[in-house]
Amino acid sequence: MAMDVESSSDERHWFPYWSSDRRRFHPDSPFFAPGNIERELLAKQIALDITEDERNHLQNLADEPYRGVFCPIVGCGASLTSLMNFEDHYRARHTSSCSVCSRVYPTSRLLSIHVSEAHDSFFQAKVARGFAMYECLVEGCDMKFKSYKDRHQHLVDKHKFPNSFEFLKNAHQSKNLRQKTQRKRATHKQEAAANAMEVENEAVDGLVSAISRLSTADSTPSSISFGRRHTRGLTFVPRSVQRERSSESKQ
Amino acid sequence: MTDESSPHRRDPIKSSVGNAAAQRRRQNAASVGKERRESLMRAKRFCRVGVSTAIDDNDDSPDHDMVIDEEESILEAQASSAVEELKAAVAFQGKGAVQKKISALQKLRRLLSRSEFPPVEVALKAGAIPLLVQCLSFGSLDEQLLEAAWCLTNIAAGKPDETRALLPALPLLIAHIGEKSSLPVAEQCAWALGNVAGEGEDLRNILLSQGALLPLARMMLPNKGSTVRTAAWALSNLIKGPDQKAATELIKINGVLKAIIQHLKNADDELATEVAWVIVYLSALSNMATIMLVKSNVVQLLVERLASSNSLQLLIPVLRSLGNLVAGDSCTTYDLLAPGHEITDSVITVLVKCLKSEHRVLKKEAAWVLSNIAAGSVEHKQLIFSSEALPLLLHLLSSAPFDIRKEVAYTLGNICVGPVEGDGRPKLIVEHLVSLVNHGCLSGFIELIRSIDAEAARLGLQFMELVLRGMPNGEGPKLVEQEDGIDAMERFQFHENDDLRNMANGLVDKYFGEDYGLEESSS
Repeated sequence: MAMDVESSSDERHWFPYWSSDRRRFHPDSPFFAPGNIERELLAKQIALDITEDERNHLQNLADEPYRGVFCPIVGCGASLTSLMNFEDHYRARHTSSCSVCSRVYPTSRLLSIHVSEAHDSFFQAKVARGFAMYECLVEGCDMKFKSYKDRHQHLVDKHKFPNSFEFLKNAHQSKNLRQKTQRKRATHKQEAAANAMEVENEAVDGLVSAISRLSTADSTPSSISFGRRHTRGLTFVPRSVQRERSSESKQ
Repeated sequence: MTDESSPHRRDPIKSSVGNAAAQRRRQNAASVGKERRESLMRAKRFCRVGVSTAIDDNDDSPDHDMVIDEEESILEAQASSAVEELKAAVAFQGKGAVQKKISALQKLRRLLSRSEFPPVEVALKAGAIPLLVQCLSFGSLDEQLLEAAWCLTNIAAGKPDETRALLPALPLLIAHIGEKSSLPVAEQCAWALGNVAGEGEDLRNILLSQGALLPLARMMLPNKGSTVRTAAWALSNLIKGPDQKAATELIKINGVLKAIIQHLKNADDELATEVAWVIVYLSALSNMATIMLVKSNVVQLLVERLASSNSLQLLIPVLRSLGNLVAGDSCTTYDLLAPGHEITDSVITVLVKCLKSEHRVLKKEAAWVLSNIAAGSVEHKQLIFSSEALPLLLHLLSSAPFDIRKEVAYTLGNICVGPVEGDGRPKLIVEHLVSLVNHGCLSGFIELIRSIDAEAARLGLQFMELVLRGMPNGEGPKLVEQEDGIDAMERFQFHENDDLRNMANGLVDKYFGEDYGLEESSS
């Protein structure tokens, strides 16, 4: 188990622990709404000749407290129509991954900022010469800063980011282990799915066709190379492929 | 509430009226769809058929059938003229005045009860209310009172402003539910009052201050026949709050508790259903009522109903009453439902029955009740852990609709967590945690973390913390990682919700820091 990181303040490890408490609801509570609606539907069923369709439609109305919500990822605000929609939306729009280090970002803009700042020596050269290269992360702000620290301070002061927010460090697994795990996972999924002798080739074919079926560019890694499994570029397995492999047991 | 005992009455509602009318209905469908939806979900009930056969509808003509074919404008014209006729009848002093009044009232009543969208607004505009109030005067013939009350019932069954129009009639309606009234009259007046009470808090308060509670409560006492059901329904609308005062007042009335018990024990499904709803509100709102109900063995009766009935309509309020009693008062769980008591086992058994039901509401609320029992003593947690509920819960966590999964999550988590210890953290029941994780519950919780619902995400993260902290041999982080838990938590880095972001970041910082994975994890 990882050692506790020395933290400057205890709030870093503040946590609202699971507390085993009784939960009581007021009769008006939305918690009881489906049962209340069922009561009225059952009572009026005969009187008002409710059709099966009507009934289902009404039940669905009652069961959808998540209509008209917005995506909670900062800067997105996309309107979602149901619970399931969020998962699809998230996978389609917020899983850009860096092909170099496998860190995941919720938008392609942030991904590209990361790539510049973390993997681009040209970027570092310009920083060394005193150019303001560090962009503000909030889309539309357009401010640029000379150092990572200055940008961080700007995020905290102007945009109310928490002090502990670390853009650079935000893939918390060590780089080495992450790649190792990703590769292992990629292979494991490929093996499990392909189920044949020529495991890798079949799986790669499968991956290729799956990738070509992906609906947005965001989940395609910025570089792909095919062939044997230890190629760096293939460390990212699109989540939609992984999901297809594993059985979905939910509705 | 319709009278289902006269089958020939049902057919008119469903009678076919030919293509033309059907087409017109379809055309109107979109515009009335919304209105219909709202009317279906309101707590008010339209009176289509009389409360008793005391009314001699000697008119066996097609007039009996649902007025579906009529154009709205025709109906409105008829309503207008019916009110005019009533006005004349009320003013008339000579011989046969009473018959004139009753005849006019009947005309109006039919218009207001046969059509799908009765011409209430027109009737009100034409001045129906003051006339109806006059027809409710003391000493009037029962038939007159009945017809007038029936008209008022249906006027009150619709839109809010139409219900409010009944204000001038309230004192008289309340007066006529007194013990001296004939039963059908009392019942019809109770029905009207029930509709008014169902409209909103302010109207409930007016009714309460005008003294509606006591006579309505008396109507629920056992020797009153079929009016009991209507009275119970009206009462449930009257005490539903949000203020607890009416509920507390009700339970204090002499004979009420006894009547509730008796009905819960002996009544047919329909009456038991309405009484159960009264219990729902009593137990949700009034602490005094909760204590009194628990003391008088209500829990046992609720359990018996849950075990023996399969009527969804009855099961919902009975289950909810049980849930409210468990949620509202710690004595219920600790004293009455102590582990080892026979009743405790019965409660678990009926809750399992509800979990197995195909009805979503029952599954969800049963899981809620279990979660509250699991919030009790360590022995309660052990009880549920080793009961037949556990495999069911695990299954539901991975397969049920979202709202059920959330309640199940509460239950499973509560099973693993005991009272708060010295270091401020609730004690972990490691044995339970390990077993649940070994049975594969982790992925279900991680699924919740990915949900857009903040409460569910929070729950998932809290459980994650238990696993990370509490799994022996430092296995927690590995297990979480295997289930894509890190990924789920990392989603929160760019999440708007501060609370969730801090929780997730905190966990990842603490358990998956820089050094994670670099050491050979064979320790």
